[in-house]
Amino acid sequence: MTTLTRQDINFGQVVADILCEFLEVAIHLILYVREVYPSGIFQKRKKYNVPVQMSCHPELNQYIQDTLHCVKPLIEKNDAEKVVVVIMDKEHHPVERFVFEISQPPLLSISSDILLSHVEQLLRAFILKISVCDAILNNNPPGCSFTVLVHTRDVATRNMEKVQVIKDFPWIVADEQEVNMQEPKLIPLKTMTSDIVKMQLYVEERAQKTQVY
Amino acid sequence: MDELYLDNIDEYVNDHNKIVTYKWLSLTLGVHVNTAKQMLFHYLDHKRKESSAQLHATYLVSGKFVNNGQTCHKVSVIREEQLEDVKAKMSLIASVHVYSIQKALLKDSGPLYGVDYDAVRDNLKNCSRFSAIRCSSAVPMSSQELQQVKEIQRPPTSEPETKKSVSNIQTAVASKAIKPQKGIMGMFSNKTASKTQNSTKEIKTEEKDSPMVEAPKSKPALKPNSLMSMFENQTAKKTDKTVKEEAPPAAKAAPAAKPAAVQSSTSTSQPQNKLSHKEEKEEATVAKPQKESKSKSKRIQDSDSEEEKMEKKKRRRIKKPEPDSSDEEVIPDSPQKKETKEPSPSPEKQLESVTHSHQENPDKRVRKRRRVLKSKTFVDEEGCIVTEKAYESESYSESEEDFKAPKQAARDPFKGKLHSNGKDEKKSRQKASANTNKSTKQASITGFFQKK
Repeated sequence: MTTLTRQDINFGQVVADILCEFLEVAIHLILYVREVYPSGIFQKRKKYNVPVQMSCHPELNQYIQDTLHCVKPLIEKNDAEKVVVVIMDKEHHPVERFVFEISQPPLLSISSDILLSHVEQLLRAFILKISVCDAILNNNPPGCSFTVLVHTRDVATRNMEKVQVIKDFPWIVADEQEVNMQEPKLIPLKTMTSDIVKMQLYVEERAQKTQVY
Repeated sequence: MDELYLDNIDEYVNDHNKIVTYKWLSLTLGVHVNTAKQMLFHYLDHKRKESSAQLHATYLVSGKFVNNGQTCHKVSVIREEQLEDVKAKMSLIASVHVYSIQKALLKDSGPLYGVDYDAVRDNLKNCSRFSAIRCSSAVPMSSQELQQVKEIQRPPTSEPETKKSVSNIQTAVASKAIKPQKGIMGMFSNKTASKTQNSTKEIKTEEKDSPMVEAPKSKPALKPNSLMSMFENQTAKKTDKTVKEEAPPAAKAAPAAKPAAVQSSTSTSQPQNKLSHKEEKEEATVAKPQKESKSKSKRIQDSDSEEEKMEKKKRRRIKKPEPDSSDEEVIPDSPQKKETKEPSPSPEKQLESVTHSHQENPDKRVRKRRRVLKSKTFVDEEGCIVTEKAYESESYSESEEDFKAPKQAARDPFKGKLHSNGKDEKKSRQKASANTNKSTKQASITGFFQKK
């Protein structure tokens, strides 16, 4: 049983890897369940031993991968507070925000065997919750698009602007309109606590989705 | 039956927004599966009368179905709206019961598997205690026998398995390894065994696999393996039926991370191990209490029906009857074959489908050609991105089951195969010639004809 401590260079990377993989699957699943893209582009794949829907479209996949590639260093250094998947209507007003709040405990040594299968179980629960979330959410208007926002602690954003992690994939400061939503309703979906990461998923939903501004 | 269960189910469905499948309910409340099914039915009835919150239900329908003149046993999980429709189409209905109740309208059947997965995993040692399928002659092998089998497994990877005694054990092992033909995978009989073993090891996502995540994944799977031993399979015959995953643990065979030993043997087994349908008891060749991760049931390599009927959320198992059957949608132009061939799934959204000939001698490892559905993405004249799934001929051998999720690019189809047995060379050659030009989407009519 290997023990990893925070100090190990691997620890941060391992956690970041796990989280980024999970976020990729979660984003694909959100796009599928909320019908942001037609279900024809999705195919069934397996993750954590359960079937999940992932898209086949190469550009979409590339976009999501690039996004998470940039987010990964933030997670490694524990700079990312929240990763938000925002679904916006045609006028680019957010109708739904899936917020993943991530926090990592500062100093911890873990034994990898049982821990990771436990984490896998928790992540599986998240995936299941996302699959059934449309019972509690209202339908989105047609023609929605999505974007990913990352809320970070102070210093990180400045660093990100200086260093483009991926060429031609710049991150910009999000505007007010995308970040804040009118009349949000908060619906918690799932929480998980484990030795390596604490994560919470909730959805903020706009009260009237077909509202015309 | 006291009425508390109604409140329990109500709590799970409405308050926790869970998907309540009958299997999960039976394991959670500690009741027999048939009781759980009745509970769900009463609950649904109760709620419908009250006409309160919106509930969706899925049903499991199984029975005889006549398909192009062929009668097969079909088991499907369907949405409530389609219930009457499907029932009308069946020629004889063996069973209908509520499969699950949930608040959300499920777009696909994936979550149904996920729900049962964890419940069963937690009860791995005795997941069949509430099940309705029993086979008194199926007992776990003692560790001595297990050792024996393992030893026999290891050397023969390089020698043809022709010995009856060896094959006997092997088929026993294999049949157990054959995991219950869950849903779609059932179609793939031979392949499924090894496939399932490997696929559970693979994380089929587009991104790189985190090595750490992979390691623990195989570990839980290994645990059942050490606990569960191989079974002696007296009735390793080829049964005709394949049963879907809700076929009880009796059917559930191999744990995902079988030792390599098992893997080699699985190839020899046939689709047989059929997990008889719940109502049918006895067929079970392996009544293993062990329940390995039901990764077997829902494989990404969703073959047939899962994908083709995704809109309808059907899982279909087509029985391989005495003559050949062909999957009606997948191969519209290929009728009978001389040998029973596993029908290949619909090309629509399949990642991969395998057709292979029915094996007559279980113990042989045969080198065959098979048509694999590959997915290719490219940009066509108009600049549109097209993903095409096409059949390609691929050489394989029964014993290899190394499937990787097809990536966007075509992947290398050829796995190095160790040995090919001379026995069925002729057959495979014939098949090879028939399959050589399978790069077109449409399966040619000669593709499935064997030299008679």
